[in-house]
Order: sequence, then C-alpha cells, then structure tokens
Amino acid sequence: MLRSRLIPCLLLKNKSLVKTIRFDKFEYVGDPCNTVKIFNELEIDEVIIFDIDASKNKKSPNFDLIKNLANECFMPLSYGGGIDSIDHAKKLFDLGIEKISLNTSAIYQPNLVDQLAKVYGSQAIIGCIDIKKNMLGVKKVWSHAGGVNTKKNPIEWALELEDRGVGEIFLTSVDNEGTWKGLDLDMINEISNSVYIPLIAHGGAGRFSHVKDAIYKSGASAVALGNMVVYQKQNMGILINFPDKEKINELKFFNG
Amino acid sequence: MISIIDYGLGNLGSIKNMIEHIEEEVQIISDISLIKHASKFILPGVGAFDTAMKKIHKIDGLYETLNEQIVLKKKPLLGVCLGMQLLMDISEEGKEKGFGWITGKVKKFPKNKFLKVPHMGWNTVSFDKESSLTRGLDRKARFYFVHSYYVKPKDKKKSILSTSYSFNFVSAIQEENIFGVQFHPEKSHSFGMKILKNFSDF
Amino acid sequence: MSENKKICSKCIYDENIPNISFSSNGICNYCDQIEFLKTKFGTGERKGKELLNILINNIKKEGKHKKYDCVVGVSGGTDSSYLLMKAKEWGLSPLAVHYDNTWNSAIASMNIEKITRSLNVDLYTHVVNNVEVDDIKLAFLKSGVPEFDADTDIAFVQVLREAAAKYNIKYILEGHSFMTEGISPIGSNYLDGGYVHDVHKKFGSIKSKTFPNMTFFQFMKWVLFYRQKFIRPLWYIDYSKENAIKVLKKNTGWQYYGGHHLENRASSFSHTIWLPRYGIDFRYLSLAAQVRQKSLDQNQAIKIFNSKIKIDKKLVQYVKKRLHLSDVEYLKIMNGEKRTWKEFKTYKKLFEYLKPLFYILTRLERVPISFYLKYCFKIKE
Repeated sequence: MLRSRLIPCLLLKNKSLVKTIRFDKFEYVGDPCNTVKIFNELEIDEVIIFDIDASKNKKSPNFDLIKNLANECFMPLSYGGGIDSIDHAKKLFDLGIEKISLNTSAIYQPNLVDQLAKVYGSQAIIGCIDIKKNMLGVKKVWSHAGGVNTKKNPIEWALELEDRGVGEIFLTSVDNEGTWKGLDLDMINEISNSVYIPLIAHGGAGRFSHVKDAIYKSGASAVALGNMVVYQKQNMGILINFPDKEKINELKFFNG
Repeated sequence: MISIIDYGLGNLGSIKNMIEHIEEEVQIISDISLIKHASKFILPGVGAFDTAMKKIHKIDGLYETLNEQIVLKKKPLLGVCLGMQLLMDISEEGKEKGFGWITGKVKKFPKNKFLKVPHMGWNTVSFDKESSLTRGLDRKARFYFVHSYYVKPKDKKKSILSTSYSFNFVSAIQEENIFGVQFHPEKSHSFGMKILKNFSDF
Repeated sequence: MSENKKICSKCIYDENIPNISFSSNGICNYCDQIEFLKTKFGTGERKGKELLNILINNIKKEGKHKKYDCVVGVSGGTDSSYLLMKAKEWGLSPLAVHYDNTWNSAIASMNIEKITRSLNVDLYTHVVNNVEVDDIKLAFLKSGVPEFDADTDIAFVQVLREAAAKYNIKYILEGHSFMTEGISPIGSNYLDGGYVHDVHKKFGSIKSKTFPNMTFFQFMKWVLFYRQKFIRPLWYIDYSKENAIKVLKKNTGWQYYGGHHLENRASSFSHTIWLPRYGIDFRYLSLAAQVRQKSLDQNQAIKIFNSKIKIDKKLVQYVKKRLHLSDVEYLKIMNGEKRTWKEFKTYKKLFEYLKPLFYILTRLERVPISFYLKYCFKIKE
C-alpha cells in the first residue's frame, strides 16, 4: 500500500539551518549535516532542503555542503535554491540528490524546466510554488523567497509547470508558514484537483490532524513539515524530532 | 566485488555509498576491459529508456560485452529502476530495443486524477517467489519507488516481488543470474541494504 | 589497570590514578570519598528519603506561584531522563533544559522528545551555532589537549543557569549519581570556562557569539546574585542504571544508546577515540562504581576494562566531515603533540585562592560539593 509521504522541510541559510515565520524572522535551528543524519537514522522517508538565500542573493548552490548532506542519506534527498542551469542540475544529480526543485528559475527561465525534464525525466524535477495573498487578499505566486509578486494565478502556474514536465508540485502557503495554525486546505484542494501529478503541501502544519486534513480532505499526496520537526512544541525549545511510526502508518494513501 | 556500470545515467554515487556502508567491495567502471574482468554487476538507471539505450550503444563495445558477460558467461547482474526496465525487449516509453534478457515489455501507468503518475513514494511488496535476492527480507519491507513505467514479463513466474498501485505490478524479477528491482534500494534504508547484501552474497 | 600494581580492594582504581592514596586496609581515598558522601546524603536510606522530601517541599514552596518550580537538565541519556521522570513523580513542575551542541544522535533527540511528551514537560533549548562550535572543537583537537568535549560540558551548566534565571527558578536538578559514576579524579582532565576560552583563542579561527561559556564572571554572578541551588536528587536515593533503563523503556518509549555518553556524537568520539589516545578510558568510572555496588565482580570489571574499546569508523568519517579534515590532516592531529590544561590559562589558581569562600557557598548549596572537592584543593604533584 502506498503511504502518503511526510517530509521534513529544512531551510538552509549560509551554513546553518533556520526556521522562519511567513518567510520572515529567522531563528537559528542547527547543523544541516547532523540534522539530515538524524533523519536518516530515524529512517525517514524523504527529506527536502531549500537554500533560502540563493535566489535572493543570486548565489549558486553550495555543492560542497550538499555533497556532505547527500552522502548521509539512504533515502531520497531533494534540493532547491539557486538552480538556474543544466550544469547546476547535473552537478546536483551527480552528488546523489534525488530531485531538484525549481522556483524562481522556473518563473524567469521557464524553458529550463522543459529542458531539465527532458534530460533527467519528470520524476526528478519539482515545481516549487510559493503563494501569498496580495494587498487585496487575492492569492498570487511570489518569487525570490516571497519577495516579488509575479502576479501569476497559482492554478494556471501549476498547470503550466505540469505541462512543461515537472513531476511534482511543492506548494507553500507563505501566509500560513511557521504559524502552527494549519495548512491552506482550499488552495491545496484546488491545485490537487487541477493537476495529475503529486502535490506536496507545505506551510502551517502544527499538529498531526493538520497533516491528515491536507491529505484526506484536500488531496495532497504528501505533507512537508517545518515547525513540527524542529521544535518540541509551539513556543518551546528547538528539538529535532519526527512523528512516531504508529502515527505515520495511519497515513495510508486512499487509492494505493 | 560489485561493479556498477557507468554508462552516463543513474544514481551511481548513492548506490556505491550504500554498498560501502554495508561493508562490501564496490567499484564504478565503464572500461570494457574492466567489465570483462568483473565478477558481478549493477546496471543503474534514472530517466528515459531511449536516452539510456542510446548512451549504452554510444560506448564502443559495451552492449556486446554485456551480452557476452551476462548471457554467455552468466555473471550476476542487478538492474535498478530504469536498469530493470532495460532488461526487457521494448518499452512504451521509446523506440529503442532493450537488452531483451527477460522476455516482456515495459508499459506506462494509466493516468487519472486519483492515481498520480509517477508512482512516487514508499510502497510495500508481496513475495511471489523465493529468491536469494529476497532471502531474510522483512515481510513488511517497504521501498522507495519513483517511476512512470512498469515491466510486464511474458512469464509471470519470473516475478519475485510485486507491488500494488491500483493494480499489481512486478517490483522485482529474476531470470537465473539476472535480477531486476523497480525500486531504489540505495534510497530505501535498511530494506535496501538487505537487498544489496543478498546480491553481494549471491 | 595492569598486573602487579596496587589495586583498591573495593573498586578497581590502581596506583596510577591521579591523586590516589590507599588506607591501611587497601581501600582508596576515592572509595572513602564516596562513603563520606553516602553517609552525608543518606543514599538509599531513610535519612536520604527524609532529606530529599525536605528538599522537594522547599522546591514546591519556592515555586508555588510560578509556572515551573525547578529546572532539570536533559541530554536524552539515562540519568537525566530518569531524573525528569522522578521529578514529575514527586509532584514537581520541572522545566526540561537542553544544551544542543549540534552533534546529537537521533536517539538523544528522540529520547528527549519522548520523555518530555509522555511526562508533559516543557522544553527549553539553547542551540549553539554549528559553525562556531565546530571551530571550537577543531581548536581543541589542534591544541592536543584531551578535553575534546569540554565546551559541551561547560555550556550545559551555563545554559541550565540561564534557563533558571529566565524563568526565575531557584532550583536546578542534575542527574549525576556518584554511586553509578563515581567522582572523577582531577589531574588528567580539567574543565572551566577560562580553559575553554584560552584553547579556542590560541587554536581557533573565528570568534564565537552564540557559545554559552561560563566565564569566571558568569560563574560568580550566578552563585552570588542568583542564589540558584544545585541539587542532585540521585545522591539521596537508591539508583541503578539498569533499573532506570528498564523503567524508562517501559513507560515512555525511551531507547538505550549503548554506553555512557554515547548518545551524542561528540562525547562518543571523545570517549571512544580521543581520550584513549591519552590512555584515558572513562569506562573505569562506571566499572569501579559497579564493583563498589557489588553488581560486578572485580576481576570481571578489570577484564572488561582491559578489553579494547570498539572504534566506530563511521564516527571518524563524520568527525572529518564536520571539521573539514582530510585523511592526512586527521592523521596529523591523531599523531600530534599532546598537551595538558596546565599549559593554558585557567581559573584553577583562582579557585584555590577562594577556597574559604567556596566552602561557605557549598554549605549554602550555591555550588555542588563535588565542585569544591575537585577545584579548590591544590593538586599533589
């Protein structure tokens, strides 16, 4: 039976891991290598790591660091942040990265998506979409780590990414991220109903019931966790952790 | 010594990493003369069927040498993910012919809004036939899958493991010295380590 | 421990242990020290229970209108996890405090998560910046001194005190047990904030901003102005590690990690690879304790002690990776010059000079008695 995936989402800033609230207010969390190693020891299904400074500061991925992370993993490790060429992609796959995520690059160099999907296969490419409400409360796609409003409609953009060949959509609600209050179930539902490819929902998960809602009520194939895996509980200390195996086994994919 | 064939595609480093972790000998090779002297092979693969076969044909003598080593000399070979699909005759994904060491074809998963394609994530297996590849494997073993195509061997009895994704498909196959796994053992923690250890002991 | 050396008749320390002396009946001064503490604290006896009850009541009284009445330092290890469990049993409202040196294993992290969740205890953490802490650890390796994990040891205590101060808590509970761990003899290893600072200054390359060092100033601030009391409840009760492990596993899903301090990768490297370089094998502490408690036969203990420590090759790889050391550089360090704490600036002389003051502070329970015994006395050469 295919299991819905629960994926720790780690944010890399320079050489350290951080956590944000609505893509703002950085709190230092720990060492990337040790944290990935912990998730590997816990035999977690999959990990995704984003370099949140890269696109904003026009930096390339930190290949040395990524190499050290990849060889700690006996599970898929996906990476996103500052990937803007086929050369970057090749380097990352050679290092053992399972999937690469394109966000800002996909928006400003959409042909890159097509190219990469053709060479490496759709299953290796994640289309990463950050959604934030504009001044009128309308949800739009933002680039540069929530810094620039592209004015694109989320559903249209998700469909275009699917068309261009991405294998999965990683959808983040910036407004909910880091708030513990739950994911954006409406947005997840709309997009998962529009595309044929799997959707990873991200942003706002504060308790296990939020995860279940995203999967069973809104059709997400997977949920990415931020706060829940780096804090002991809301407003308390930092602690790398992951839900128990019993809890995860509850997440049977409804159409396995 | 396990020799991972480098023809230009696949998670070579990750496979090598896991084999080293289980403390077995491993090397990555592409040189024909090294292949002739190797004793056991892994055929990796990630991406498109045609791309893979074209890359293999591009390396002078590789296709013929592999046929000789595997079919004639009967050296063990494990095809991983796309590597498993290359063992078949043809694929719906492309026009190229596979190695044809196992009779059958590669088909695409039907697409619909409830059954997302690619089949991506951790799934379980059922044991169809006993095999040295799966000896001692936990009945509840789970593996990481990521693929849009699956193999359909002509002879169902060649299947050692099958997996359910709306219907049952072959997730591990064996034809004497030739093995194939659709999942990624190198990304499947201790379950993958068991498969690779068994192959190493074969 | 070698043959033909004088060995204590009660534990396994031999004449090579620093500052050891033997009484006429062949018992060493460390065993005597432990007997002294046992009597003083009434360990496992009714006296101990009564003393502990008084303490517990004081803690409850002091913390009556506060959210937490005590702080418990946790590492994911046996002693601190068990202590947290007992604190809840005794009706206290503890705040669990953890210093994360970014080298935790999954077991340590998950153990902390499991026990705080099952006991419904809040957790306060201080995570040191990974780049900074790695620079400090590399400095210690380059300096050639044995105390590879000194930074963690000192920061742990500093963070406990900071957390207690933040929430206006007076009582700090620590999971040390002199019965199961013994009193570590001074001489071979040393620890204080000045030492850590000096080693880092001389062999490090970046300044640290997030490392919570306990400088002398910090230390005096705590003991003089914050009136924080350090309590070690396990000194009063019958405590056995084997039993603790059993109970923890059963009640909270906690997991054992294979050996004292092995739940953290840095302390594991320290105990199994770095310290043996100096002929220091801390297994003798717990082995001696087991012999004293008669849970292990002396000959058996000596046999175990004489057996080689198993080295985890993957741990070595990890250390090289974290500290960006090539194989050659690592070998150079492993074969490098050995130094001792005496070659660096520490607070030792200062502590000796202030012995009378610290005696009073010990009576007032502002500093643990073990501190007084270890730091305020001149070392016999």
